[in-house]
Amino acid sequence: MIPKRVAIVSVAQTKYEEAKQDKELSEIIFQVTRRALDQAGLTRGDVDSVVIAAHDLVDGRSIADMVTATAAGAYHKDVIRVCEDGIFAAALAYARILSAIFEVSLVVAWGKASEGAGEVINHLSFDPLYHRPLGLNEVSSYGIRATRYLQKHGISEEQCAKVVVKNRHNAALGNPLAHLRAPVGLGEVLRSKVISWPIKLLDTAPKTDGACAMVLASEKRAREISGNLAWVKGASWCTDSYYMGERDLDELKSLRLAASRAYEMAGIKEPVRQIDVAEVYDLFSFLELMEYEALGFCGQGEGAKFLESGIPQMEGELPVNPSGGVLSSNPKTASGLVRLAEASLQVMNLAEGRQVPEVRTALAHGISGLCGQSHCVFIVGKQESY
Amino acid sequence: MKSDVAIVGVGQTNYVTKRLDVSVPELAQEAVRRALQDAALTMDKVDAVVFGSGPEAFEGVNCPDKWCVDAVGALEKPFFRINTGGMTGASAAMAGHTLVASGLFDVVLVVALQRVGESSDAQQILNTIFDPIYEKDFGLNIISTIAQRAIRLMELYGYKEEHFSMISVRNHLNAFRNPHAHLKLDITLDDVLKSRVLCWPIKLLDCCPRSDGACAIVLASEEKATKITSTPAWIKGLASMSEGYFVGDRDLALPDYYSLVARKAYEMAGIDNPRAQLDVAELYGAFTVSEMIQYECLGFCERGGGGKFLEEGITEITGELPVNPSGGVQSANPIGATALVRIAEVALQVMGKAEERQIPDVKLGLATGSGGTAQFFSVMILGKKR
Repeated sequence: MIPKRVAIVSVAQTKYEEAKQDKELSEIIFQVTRRALDQAGLTRGDVDSVVIAAHDLVDGRSIADMVTATAAGAYHKDVIRVCEDGIFAAALAYARILSAIFEVSLVVAWGKASEGAGEVINHLSFDPLYHRPLGLNEVSSYGIRATRYLQKHGISEEQCAKVVVKNRHNAALGNPLAHLRAPVGLGEVLRSKVISWPIKLLDTAPKTDGACAMVLASEKRAREISGNLAWVKGASWCTDSYYMGERDLDELKSLRLAASRAYEMAGIKEPVRQIDVAEVYDLFSFLELMEYEALGFCGQGEGAKFLESGIPQMEGELPVNPSGGVLSSNPKTASGLVRLAEASLQVMNLAEGRQVPEVRTALAHGISGLCGQSHCVFIVGKQESY
Repeated sequence: MKSDVAIVGVGQTNYVTKRLDVSVPELAQEAVRRALQDAALTMDKVDAVVFGSGPEAFEGVNCPDKWCVDAVGALEKPFFRINTGGMTGASAAMAGHTLVASGLFDVVLVVALQRVGESSDAQQILNTIFDPIYEKDFGLNIISTIAQRAIRLMELYGYKEEHFSMISVRNHLNAFRNPHAHLKLDITLDDVLKSRVLCWPIKLLDCCPRSDGACAIVLASEEKATKITSTPAWIKGLASMSEGYFVGDRDLALPDYYSLVARKAYEMAGIDNPRAQLDVAELYGAFTVSEMIQYECLGFCERGGGGKFLEEGITEITGELPVNPSGGVQSANPIGATALVRIAEVALQVMGKAEERQIPDVKLGLATGSGGTAQFFSVMILGKKR
């Protein structure tokens, strides 16, 4: 068992929007970092470790962390960059504090999709010999996955569309930071342009500019910093095979494995009963249904039924994505960290219009890699004890 | 409170200009297999894997780590990639240390690689690290930046070009003892001095090559390490730091942060007289000049005493404190793996497995890492005793 306790003491987010044309990337990073520190009453001097998450090709230069790390407060600090979603950076920061070498860690991630050629970069993630010549990219690879999942379990496009309606509704109602704040109807989603069948335009996440920062601290420092903490009760990450042909496309195996380890750490045996709110990485509508299953919210193939039962609705027993999820704001590379930020805000009772009443335990989930290859799961809670 | 972590296995590929016989995953696996073989472990005994590689433009594949998941034994395990430019290998090793010291995992594999041979021009890729608005127009690149450092050192301390050349002669000669080395050159001071000027005072033989290659280490917890091997290399101290981004904001001859990093690592390791207590050092010097600047910052000599330190023969393989018995970065530079190679080589020295390049009776050794035109700097101390 883990001998030490770590808490999230502060969370900051920018407004998520299509293009932040008035600011260059380092200004966006600096401002969100500054806010995370200010809110906790911390200065840079209190921080002894900075963990950032970013990709060179996305940020548009080689060793891009030279400029982004310093914007994230890393001058004369220990700094490390993971090339994964930001939630993986949070996992490393968590471990860094557990190692007892560091006490206060800043975690920062961002996305400025408005400046990049996302589709091209995504296509370059496929190996040059077998996959790339097929023209695979993010949407088409997930299209294949969706086809398999829908076919295997007899799930309809309409059932997938209900995820969009739920999440966009949540964003419209309660999240002033969200990029897409207009609610959409079922018919609208179903009639939207087919991108890669069965995925239609409104089944996909937008391309968003924005950033997210948080501060993690050891138990001793956390208690000194704030009386309103989100304790990390479990954190786990796991990866699947690279080649899609090697994977079972009808389930998210690496998410299932990551979740089971995180649950074990947090003492969760009945997720629906024990977890009060979940923020999951709904990059596509159908993906959220698959995630219900891998997270053990319902049985295999029962994701759509689970949604239709009303449990993941805002008023349900286990609201999923009160923030509106990735379908409403997708500052890529930060989108998973945003899930952890939102879960933490829920635990801290700071989620304002999207606050779920009496949250004691929350789950956050993020994805890295191609077509759901790597997953990371966090369990955060109001109580420090395990 | 801190728990001890040791390196229990080391594996390296040979470093060459271009490996045409293997793919990226095969290259990674070659190093992984050797590291596991060295530790007499199988892949199933590894709890988590950390991957390191520098700018993905070298491989021409975005997220090359994801391609390697199956090949490095990370399937269905916790896995992420680190990229901090030239310091990547050291950062990855530090992340590996974090994961073990956190108590989350017992055995962690760290693998780092670069296939520079896949890119047409390494410098072109590295030129994009400089700020497009303020710095690029000055013609700054890696070589011209290091030339400025050399000029500043020559002006301040009276160092001669000959001093830098001495470093090159020693590194390239030591490389003959290292079966993995890329460049083994039997050269004289005169050869270095007369080699082609790239950007005065930097000449061709002051530089490192660009290599294809991979390196892997196995890290284990206190309890596991002693069961795995009778010769673990214990991590006694480690620290890293970032300087500011803009080259113009740094004093190139007085990198205080180098000294701060060294002091932190020495404190952890209980070292107060590095020159007397250390038995061997592997320094990340992509150029002769970048090795020279480290002697004084690491406390091997007085400020400005690097020239005399070299003249006294202390750094020779038979000297009091041998530097780079492996031949150093000047003999092999698989960029994202290079800093891990320094750590691996010191581990081999501590384990007594460095074969022809073994320094007798190594109790304590030091490895440095550096990345982003020396913006990032790291020190790791390894020892025979816990």
